[in-house]
Amino acid sequence: MSVRNSLYWRLLAWLLLPLLGLAALMLWQAYLGARDTADRAFDRLLEAASLAIAEQVKWQDNRLWLDLPPAALEMLATDAEERVFYALYATGDEFVTGNARLPALEGGGTALRFADVGWQDQTLRLGVREARLEDWDQQERFEVRVAHTREGREALAFSLFQGSLARVALLALLATGVLVLAIRFALAPLTRLRRAIRARDPRTLAPLELALPRELAELRETLNELLSRMRRVRANQERFIGDASHQLRTPLAGLSARAELALRQNDPDAWRDALQAMRTTSASAAHLAVQLLSLTRLNNPEATPELEPLDLTRVARRATRHALSACQRAGIDLGVETPESAVIVSGIDWQLEEALANLIDNARRYGSQGRDDPCVTVRVNASPPALEVEDNGPGIPAHLRLMVLRPFFRGQAPGEGSGLGLAIVDGIARSHGARLSLEEAYSGHGLRAIIRFPEAHA
Amino acid sequence: MKARLLAALLWLASVLLSTTSKAETLHYPLLPVRSDAPRLLIHGALDPPLIAPVLEDFHRRHPHIDLSYRNLTTLEIHRAFLSDGGETPPDVVMSSAMPWQYQLANHGYAQPLESQEAREWPAWAHWRHELFGITFEPVVIVYRKELAKRFGAVNDHGELLRLLERERDELRGRVVTYDPARSGAGYTYAVEEARLSPRYWALVAALGGVEADLVGTTGEMLDGLAKGRYLIGYNLLGSYAQAFSREHPELEVVVPDDYALVMQRLVFLSRSAGNPAPGQRFLDYLLSEAGQRVIGEHTPLGTVHPALEGPGSAQALRERLGEALRPIRLGPGLLATLDRLKREALLARWELEFRRGATSPRPHSLHPRPRSHHDAP
Repeated sequence: MSVRNSLYWRLLAWLLLPLLGLAALMLWQAYLGARDTADRAFDRLLEAASLAIAEQVKWQDNRLWLDLPPAALEMLATDAEERVFYALYATGDEFVTGNARLPALEGGGTALRFADVGWQDQTLRLGVREARLEDWDQQERFEVRVAHTREGREALAFSLFQGSLARVALLALLATGVLVLAIRFALAPLTRLRRAIRARDPRTLAPLELALPRELAELRETLNELLSRMRRVRANQERFIGDASHQLRTPLAGLSARAELALRQNDPDAWRDALQAMRTTSASAAHLAVQLLSLTRLNNPEATPELEPLDLTRVARRATRHALSACQRAGIDLGVETPESAVIVSGIDWQLEEALANLIDNARRYGSQGRDDPCVTVRVNASPPALEVEDNGPGIPAHLRLMVLRPFFRGQAPGEGSGLGLAIVDGIARSHGARLSLEEAYSGHGLRAIIRFPEAHA
Repeated sequence: MKARLLAALLWLASVLLSTTSKAETLHYPLLPVRSDAPRLLIHGALDPPLIAPVLEDFHRRHPHIDLSYRNLTTLEIHRAFLSDGGETPPDVVMSSAMPWQYQLANHGYAQPLESQEAREWPAWAHWRHELFGITFEPVVIVYRKELAKRFGAVNDHGELLRLLERERDELRGRVVTYDPARSGAGYTYAVEEARLSPRYWALVAALGGVEADLVGTTGEMLDGLAKGRYLIGYNLLGSYAQAFSREHPELEVVVPDDYALVMQRLVFLSRSAGNPAPGQRFLDYLLSEAGQRVIGEHTPLGTVHPALEGPGSAQALRERLGEALRPIRLGPGLLATLDRLKREALLARWELEFRRGATSPRPHSLHPRPRSHHDAP
């Protein structure tokens, strides 16, 4: 379960990283605070020591005089045994006494100033007290400078920081725990959804009824939409199967009735007639079965063969040639109109030939009714590339033109067709990314079936 | 003023028995060694007869170390350490001048010692693991036994003060103590005692009252006591007095039982030591039980190591005197001792109190003799 793939770990990482950053910031802050606190606490020592020394400064023998109290120096050294330095300076940075030449601290205006200074490879905390003698006649200014090394401060800062460290660590631990629980709690509906989906009967397509938070409710609705589309598809399939079995049952029932009838007779001629009739019926039943098979194949979205560039004019000519004899027998004038140059689209030639054959067949069957001069024209358009089959028959009313594309819908005129032809053509057109549409013939009489291909990009 | 200070520092360094012969340098091993042997140079203010047993024992344990010991006065030690002159800087510095040693360590000239011995050293006897007190030497009162017969024993400062005030005439000129102006040790004790007890100034006045003789060294005091010039000496270095009294049974050494200052010889490893390893060895040895035992058994110096309980050891003295022992605290207070103005102020006060005692209206003190000249009694 890597971080990239798990919502849980993703959330945890994105929440924990800023949390840890925050904790680090807090620790840094705590460190500075501890240092500051330690400095302030220890600066009081410098303050007290410098005061104790300043109080002992007096004017004697025409100069500043100091009776250094040892306790003032002792108080500068804590358990950490700091190194201690002191100096008394008169006006003009003039060294009076002391065990080190300690630097002056600039600025301030305040009587007491503190700073970290470097002195002979050591870091000292220096406190400078400005004072003046408060005699009647002598108000000499002087500076008491005291300093010590930082060990005690660092020890105190460290122990303070250790306290903060423990607190922050505890806080971080608690926050992490809460975070883990919160994420688990927040992701619980997802688990419920998963369980609900897993627990479903694979055959039901009923919508999910599950109380979910808003974000997941959207997902549930999307799922439910998909389910309802699947329900419609399944309804279509069931109707198709029903229609198909009905269509197959009719010729089979006819066959068995015809055979029964013939068996009752003894006349071989009657048998022969019956056999001939049965052959016709079984042939049409076989044709129906072939058509059902190819429709099923076309509707199978997982079996799409490779499309190859092909010339539409050649397809049109070949299909016309195949249909020529059947049309001549029916007394129909079949013609083909193609542009001079090849019209190249990507597709599967045998499927397109089959589609044209179906369209020509339809035109032959239905488009020739009630005409003395039935005529069917196969046409190839170059731009946009399209295949047209036009007849001069009665046509189809506009409101039925979409319905006839459905399997087993056969318009108003009953005949020997299977009712699958246009559905198959539609399926082939879709698998080529093309659209089948039925329109009125250019002459105003008859039907024009057009397969419009997408504009070739190559 | 400067000259006086200088003289005082010079005298401070010679807190030694004056009779011992002086060889400036001891060297071990006596035969030349390989030139790549680790060298160790010690600067110390301890006469060779005193330090020799310690060095010999150390040499026996670490024969490969090329060991040199230079005997200097405490002032020479201080000056040699701070000078940049061509002389080889010492690896280990040993001196009884506590404030000076402390000042060097405080300035960061010492190197911390991280050994087991250093960690276990008693807290009161070291500073920052850089400066170690290796001896335990109380400051004592020494008197001739005849004094006790005539006036009764003196066991503490109170008795001493009363005796000095009561027998002012009898004791005139027969009392000796350090001159704080000339002796660094005497000055250090004065500073510490002035801090310890306000009655110290009464004692100074009483010393002034008997026109006490002021000298520069314990050696002079012991010498005078042995010759009978003095009846009582105040603030003598106990280690020397103990050793001396063994040969002079007429002397009684008393560690005052109200309070007794304790001096320590401080030793540190120089930060500038080129090769610190032999120096660390030596310090570890001084802090070890074995080294301390040699100090305790072969020198008159008292030992600090808590495992040693023989006579003169810190343990034995503490058992006997308890809270009365006041080791000079190893702390920044020592820096105040070295303050120039402080010194002037204290000496001025001391002189004032001493003179006040000497000139107070008592019938026999109308013609005080000059205090620095004494005829032998």
